[in-house]
Amino acid sequence: MTVTLLPAAHEPCQAFATVIAVTSMEADAPSSAEISKAFAEGRADSLAQAYQRWSNLVFTLALRALGNRADAEDVTQQVFVSAWRGRANFDPDSGQLGAWLTGITRHRIADRMTARSRELRNSEAAARLAEQRPTTVLDDLTIDRVLIADELEQIDDPRRTILKLAFYEDRTHPQIAEQLDLPLGTVKSHIRRGLLHLRDRLKEVTGDETSR
Amino acid sequence: MTRHLDDDVLAQWALEDDGPDGPGTDHLQSCPQCAATLAELKLVLANARSKPRLDSPPPELWTKISDELSLDPGQSDVAPSAPVTGPDEPVARRSPARRFGGRALAAAAAFAAVAGAGAGVGGTVLLGDDEPAAIVQAAIKLEPLEGKTGAGTADLLQAAAGGQLKVSASGLSAVQGFYEVWMINTDGKRMVSLGVLNPGSGGTFQIPGEILAQGYRIVDVSLEPDDGNPVHSRNSIIRGILPS
Repeated sequence: MTVTLLPAAHEPCQAFATVIAVTSMEADAPSSAEISKAFAEGRADSLAQAYQRWSNLVFTLALRALGNRADAEDVTQQVFVSAWRGRANFDPDSGQLGAWLTGITRHRIADRMTARSRELRNSEAAARLAEQRPTTVLDDLTIDRVLIADELEQIDDPRRTILKLAFYEDRTHPQIAEQLDLPLGTVKSHIRRGLLHLRDRLKEVTGDETSR
Repeated sequence: MTRHLDDDVLAQWALEDDGPDGPGTDHLQSCPQCAATLAELKLVLANARSKPRLDSPPPELWTKISDELSLDPGQSDVAPSAPVTGPDEPVARRSPARRFGGRALAAAAAFAAVAGAGAGVGGTVLLGDDEPAAIVQAAIKLEPLEGKTGAGTADLLQAAAGGQLKVSASGLSAVQGFYEVWMINTDGKRMVSLGVLNPGSGGTFQIPGEILAQGYRIVDVSLEPDDGNPVHSRNSIIRGILPS
């Protein structure tokens, strides 16, 4: 490709400045896929990006399972530390980092539950429980709900606002249209598309049922 | 050859009580794939309507993680910069550095350099009968940009749930698209969307994390086409800057 420099005839400086501005700014906007790739490559800032993107998800899953903030914080720390140290085991081609972190979270929660039951060895029933590592400590319904809340936050406006009004605040479609000053058809379309998007993202993160 | 039902149609049936029409019911009875998709969508909808909530770990957890990893031999090169925001947010939100425009930002930075007028300090305002009082930390006017019409106000509130921005507007005509409230960084490079603004009734928006301290002080209301593109349209209508 050849670039020819022309004499400044029609405000070329302004156009040039716009291009530079857009380029430099878009470089600062990692998507989930970009974070996953950078993480697999071990790029230094990718752990911070992964933490920013998924720490609420990991922490909320741990909190729901363990019912205790201190334990949930410990598990969250373990998940990100072990994920970073074991990043060589993460294959971005087989799924996104969010799914992988969710899997690690489930294992760390199971470990914590096992440790808890060991601490209760004075009871025979608890001892039996300790030997038997729990296979599912978080039910799939809870995981799905937390994942949906997490994915919903990632959706761009106006769709996110519309979905939150519809799902969280039980507004009718006409009420949302009035509140946001949008055509009713637009509101309905966003809700349909949003529902399909959430379904797609959920499938991507949870994978097929056999991996659960 | 079997034609499957359109996803959009299945989503509509999942959302509306009416359900499928006659031919639709026939197809669903004979097509396990479409029936399964409809069931999936209904399940996602039920889960979303259960109002799932996200919790956030405390801000110091990130420090603990980076400390633990930097103690690890061979990992000493890992010193991730602290997230722009996120861990310290009361409720999970998008990262503020995710949406960017071009010229609008350069204009915003230039605006930030000369603006600052119109800032004042208020007292206490009651949001509603049952809601606790929020402290008004600053109240500014939003002025129309060159060639635009409209006006507005933005009040910076300190509520129990964190910083909030109460935005009102007048003279914004109902046209195609929607109005969106942004907080733009005075560096002219970063911005965060607060949400959709109804120009008639205004709105109160949660300010994510500590972004104000990071320089996101320019309050901007843009007119956005409903084109699915989350980037700022560069069509800013009214704007003001919060005092530092």
